[in-house]
Parts: sequence; C-alpha cells; structure tokens
Amino acid sequence: MSSRAGTTPSTYSPSTQKKKPQKPTFNDSNGVRSDGRGFYQCRPAYLKTGAVSAAGGSAYAEFGNTKVIVSVFGPRESKKAMMYSNVGRLNCSVSYTPFATQVRGQGSEHKEYSSVLHKALEGAILLESFPKTTVDVFALVMESGGSDLPVIISCASLALADAGIMMYDLVAAVSLSCVGPSLVIDPVLEEERWQDGSLMLTYMPCRSEVTQLAVNGEWTTPKIHEGMELCLDACKKLAGIMRSCLKEEADSPSIQ
Amino acid sequence: MVGLSVGETNFIRGGIAQDLRCDGRKRLSYRPIHIDTGVIPQANGSARVRIGGTDVIASVKAELGRPNSAQPGKGKVSIHIDCSATAAPIFQGKGGEALSTELAADLQRCLLGGKSGAGAGIDLSSLSIVEGKVCWDLYLDGLVVSSDGNMLDALGAAIKAALSNTGLPKVNVIAADATSSGDQPEVDVSDEEFLQFDTSAVPVIVTLTKVGKHYIVDATEEEESQMSSAMSISINRKGLICGLTKRGGAGVDPSIVLDMISVAKNVSENFINVLDSEIAAAEAREEE
Amino acid sequence: MEFVSPEGLRLDGRRPLEMRQLRAEIGAVSKADGSAVFEMGNTKVIAAVYGPREVENRAQQMNDQALVRCEYTMANFSTGDRVRKPKGDRRSTEISMVIRQTMEACIMTHLMPRSQIDIFVQVLQADGGTRSACINAATLALADAGIPMRDLVTSCSAGYLNTTPLLDLNYVEDSAGGPDVTVGYLPKLDKVTLLQMDSKLPLDTFESVMQLAIEGCKAVANYLREVLLENTKQLEYRRGS
Repeated sequence: MSSRAGTTPSTYSPSTQKKKPQKPTFNDSNGVRSDGRGFYQCRPAYLKTGAVSAAGGSAYAEFGNTKVIVSVFGPRESKKAMMYSNVGRLNCSVSYTPFATQVRGQGSEHKEYSSVLHKALEGAILLESFPKTTVDVFALVMESGGSDLPVIISCASLALADAGIMMYDLVAAVSLSCVGPSLVIDPVLEEERWQDGSLMLTYMPCRSEVTQLAVNGEWTTPKIHEGMELCLDACKKLAGIMRSCLKEEADSPSIQ
Repeated sequence: MVGLSVGETNFIRGGIAQDLRCDGRKRLSYRPIHIDTGVIPQANGSARVRIGGTDVIASVKAELGRPNSAQPGKGKVSIHIDCSATAAPIFQGKGGEALSTELAADLQRCLLGGKSGAGAGIDLSSLSIVEGKVCWDLYLDGLVVSSDGNMLDALGAAIKAALSNTGLPKVNVIAADATSSGDQPEVDVSDEEFLQFDTSAVPVIVTLTKVGKHYIVDATEEEESQMSSAMSISINRKGLICGLTKRGGAGVDPSIVLDMISVAKNVSENFINVLDSEIAAAEAREEE
Repeated sequence: MEFVSPEGLRLDGRRPLEMRQLRAEIGAVSKADGSAVFEMGNTKVIAAVYGPREVENRAQQMNDQALVRCEYTMANFSTGDRVRKPKGDRRSTEISMVIRQTMEACIMTHLMPRSQIDIFVQVLQADGGTRSACINAATLALADAGIPMRDLVTSCSAGYLNTTPLLDLNYVEDSAGGPDVTVGYLPKLDKVTLLQMDSKLPLDTFESVMQLAIEGCKAVANYLREVLLENTKQLEYRRGS
C-alpha cells in the first residue's frame, strides 16, 4: 500500500481554518487538473488479489485515494427459503466504512450501488455453471476518493476471477465527469462534487460488450459518443492492468 | 414472475422479429396512454397514468424547509417510489423494496441531473425562497398500483404530469432582513395565489427493451421477461439526453448502445407530444 | 368542539344518519385475479386478490382449508401531512389482521384446501373509516375473483358525538376522541363478524349506535350488490349473449 507523503507532526493540533469548497479550476491551455493529471489521464491503479484470506477470492484496489476491498464467497448453497433455480444467484453488497467519507457515516447514501454492482457483473458470469447456489460479493469502501463505483466494479471482477468463478471476461469500469465544457476521466471527489454530468461505463473488452452504462446530467449525442469512446479506451487499458495483475499472481510461487 | 411456455416464448420473440407484437403493435409504438390529474386532493399536484395494464399514481407535496448548507440557493427534491402489493404478490412485505429503491434511483438520475444541478429537469434554484434560510422541499411519491411492464416510463410520465398539475403557494417574506443570522425569517404562505410549476424542461423516459436483435418500446410484462437488456434513456424537449441507465445483465456492443440512443431520441419526440396533449386534455377535464 | 350544528348538520354538511357518497369500481388491477376500488367520500382504497393458488410456504399449508393472507398498506400521500411510515408498522399489522379475520369468516375456505388466497389492500386516500372501506373493497375484489363466499361481508362505522349517534365518521370526527364503533356484517345471514370500539359508551346507547352501524352495512351491501350486478351485466353484454 502507498506510503503517505509528508512527515507526521509530533503534536496534534486541530486545523483552525475551515476549508471552503471551491470549484476546481481547469487550465484549458495546458490541460492539467488539480492533481497534476491531464484531462484524459487516469489515476495510477494498484491492484492486488488475495487480500482477505478467509474469502474464496478477494482483491484490493487503490486508485489514488479510493481504496476498496472486495471479497467473494461461494458458490455455496442458496438459502432454503429460496426457490429452485437452474442458474446460480449473485448477491452483491456494497458498504462503506464509517471513516470512508469526509463526514462520518455519509457512505450510507449510496444504497443503489449494490444493485448497480449486481447489474454490472451478472452479464459477465456464467451463472448456469453453478445452479442452486449463490455467490456472495461483498465490497467494502475503505476510503472514498471519487469514482468509487467503477473501482468497486473493477475490483469485484478481479475478486471473482481470484475466486475461480467462471466468467466470460473481466469487467473493467471507468467513469468520467463533465465539468463545464470539458470531459475529465476518472474524476476525484472534488471534481465529482462540481460535475455537471457523469458517465460510467463497464465493459468486457474481449467480447466488446457494455454490461452497464449510467449517464447523469444533460448531454448531447456527440458528447455521449466522445465520452463513451474515452471510457472504452480507458476500460481496455484497465483490463490489461487487471489481467497482468492476475498473471503475476499466478506466476508467483505460492507460499503454501 | 411470468410463467411462459416454450410456444409462448417463441410466439413473442417471433412477433417482435417480424414487427408485429402480440397486441398488434409495431416495435416502436406505445399502448394507449390515459392520464388523470388532480387525483389526490391532499397533494399539491398529482396524476394517475395508465399505459395499458400499468397503472401508477404520482403525487407532489411541497413543504417549507431549510436548504442544504452546501447549496444555500437551492430547494430540495426527494423521490420515493412504492410498489404496492396489489400490483404483484411478490411486492408484499419488504419484497418490493429492492425494485422501489432502484426505480427511485433511476428517476432521480433522470430528473435531477448532475451534482451541480446542470441539466436538471426540475430547476432547484426556483424552489429557493430566502437563500440559505427557507426553501421548498418537494416530495415526489410514486405508487405502482398495477404493473404490466414499462414501469419506469410510466412513473416518469406520471411525475411529469403531477408536476405540471402542481401549484406552489405564493410565499411572502415578512421579515426578510432577520437581524441575527440564526433566525428563520417569517414567511406567510398564501392560500389563494399559486404559482404554476414550470415543467417544460422535465424530460421523458423512453425505455428500449432488447429482445433478440430488435428493440421495442413500452414492453409488457411478458415481453420484459424475454429481454436480454433494456436501456432507459431520458430525453428532454431539446433532444438532449438527461440520463441513461441500463437494466438486464447481458452485455451489448458499444455501437448498439449508440444506435439505441438515436432510436430513443426519435421515439421521444413523438412521445413528448403525446404526453403533453394528454396532460393538457386531463387538465382541461379537471377544470370542467 | 361542535360536531353537530343546532340545525342538525355535521361539519361536512351531512345529516347525522347520512352516509358519505359511495363509489365502487371493479377490475382496477389488470394482472390480479380480482380487484376493486372503493370510495367512501374522500376515503379511497384499492383491493386486489390473488388466488386461490399454490401455497408459497409449505409449512403454512392446511389440508382442510385455504390459507387466507392479507396485507394493508397506506400510500405516502394518503394522509394530509406527509409521513413516511415503514411497511408493517403496528397499526398496519393490526388492520391487516382485522381484515384477514373478517374475510376468512365469510370465505368458504373448506372448498379450497391446500391453497392460498392473498388479499392486498392499498389506501390511496385516508379520511376516516379506512378499515371499513378496506373490508368493502376486499369483498368486491373477492367476488370479482370468483371466490366462493357465504355472503357479501360489508362494514361501516358509527360514532357518538355531542349526544348524537353519527353514521360513517370522517377523519375529523374520528380524531375527536369519541366512541367509534366499526361493525362487519353479513347482511343475508344477519350476523356480525367484526365489532370494534374505541373509548367508552353506555350500554343502551351502544346498542343504538351499533344498530346504526349495521344499518350502514346494509346500505353498503345493497350498493355493492348493485355494482356487482351491473358488472355482470356488462360482462354478459360484452360476451354478446
């Protein structure tokens, strides 16, 4: 995990001045964002499988300040109360740690994330390969630093792969924000707060299929085209990183 | 759940492939839409929308509240959807909750625009009364009474109709220059003068359901059970896309996504006109 | 507070022994086996019946009779001020149970063993007397679903305010805190299946108030019968015989 820059102060002193939220300024001439990235540049991704030893499969993802752990359990027997089903069930749940957000406990606002995660993944999994059983996907956001949902989805598909659940392809997810006239990919929290619109795309690159697409705010058709192109391109690159992460894990001599 | 035999499934799929659906419609035509406004007397605005066998009621209630400290110049809107057990037995108890929250989140995405408020169908700054002190809290409640597919479009239409039926009471600020910052200014809510709510920017939602290789609008429950994926696109009068969500697990090719968007855009023009004339007719009937 | 003016008129302009306007409509929910809308003045409820069908939970299956289940829910916008109640609060649970017991008493459950009948009632507008309206709507929906019943069970409430017995209380009269008698009645069999009362009432007045409520039930039953007859005529006409 990344080491924190700057020295730790020896004594604790609460900061007296309150930071006022300010609209991020974009310097269009050089196209540099507040954290030094270009408009179409993603944050550096750190991915690692096998973060939770008790789970069937797990993955840890860190994109800038966004840190997520996903653990996958199963396939295990569905609850007795559930009706017979000849395809497997996928159960997704996204939760936030109380300290994940700047204001404590704000993470509970994202109730719909669980269902979006489910919709994004179900198309990638060969559910018919495990009838009568359930696969549980639990995602925990440890720190929310913007673009949480795409990070959760990418991390969850990595965890599923680590658990050995059969999938058609890895699902890579990328979001972008529309701030004023410009599109910025993989926005941080500050940029998300001021966005006029957002677009999230989850994509299976090998099959060239979009499993989930969510658009927010006012868009013209050409702009959607542009945004989707950007996201597709980023998804392909991200999938490459995810794939190499899995390969590395497989190549490394096992500790057992 | 719809239980369909293999024969029925083939019939539905085959019909869609040949552009002739079970009820005689073409792929891109709607069932007859019937709108009633003012159905809930206690609310500030309400509407009931029936599209075929789907029957939804939406109500708008306005209450005075305090604006969010982060957005002092804006009112608040919250959307709640309930799926009544009358619509289907699986909605009893907490059974409808998952679908209700999903529908509410989709509607929120389609109606309220981005975080900064750009492209919102409901202009939040028009709900502000005294900046940072008093604003309108709009509660949009939707109730699904009977469901036969295409619930999101029906709810979107019902909310649009309910909003155009809404009259917000005129508020006079009596003591606007409250001396201490903590004081709530005194306001007087008029019960005679009402301000009509502007709904020209409220988008409509068009859901394209993909069955086989083709897309259909306004799918019935039987048709929805055959879908591989569905795309709900909300489009306003200017032809701009205000929100988009995808349902159904199956993936689609990016080029198909773009094609679906352009088809939805064409369909929406007609749909907006139909809705507006139906809403106008309903309002006229109510006034009689 | 004065609930009956010296001229003998109530707050909403009715006479003490006058009911609110009734309106009923059969077949509001297309997918249900039977459904109905019932209005009593400003109170408006929808009932839908699913069944008889296979029992969902095998443990609840009964080999000699049908399982009757009922759920009562209030819409968020049904009351004057908007309060968001969670589903299954105490009041809803109690009313669900009352409706279930009343309907169970009139359905011939022994004819449909090992099956389940679901009754869902949804309150769209509440202005007093919701449980009566729900029972009346449920009766119509059951009749529409073709479920065998001993009789059309109907319900009506009556109260006693300003030393006057009042038929069919509205919300304002109901919340005055006076006695409120709700009766469920089988008109053909002349039997009472439901009797509830809040507050206290002398025994002799109770009898007259209850009698008044029963009269109300009979009036409702007459109306329901008319609606059902009209509906059957319509169906016959559509069939073309």
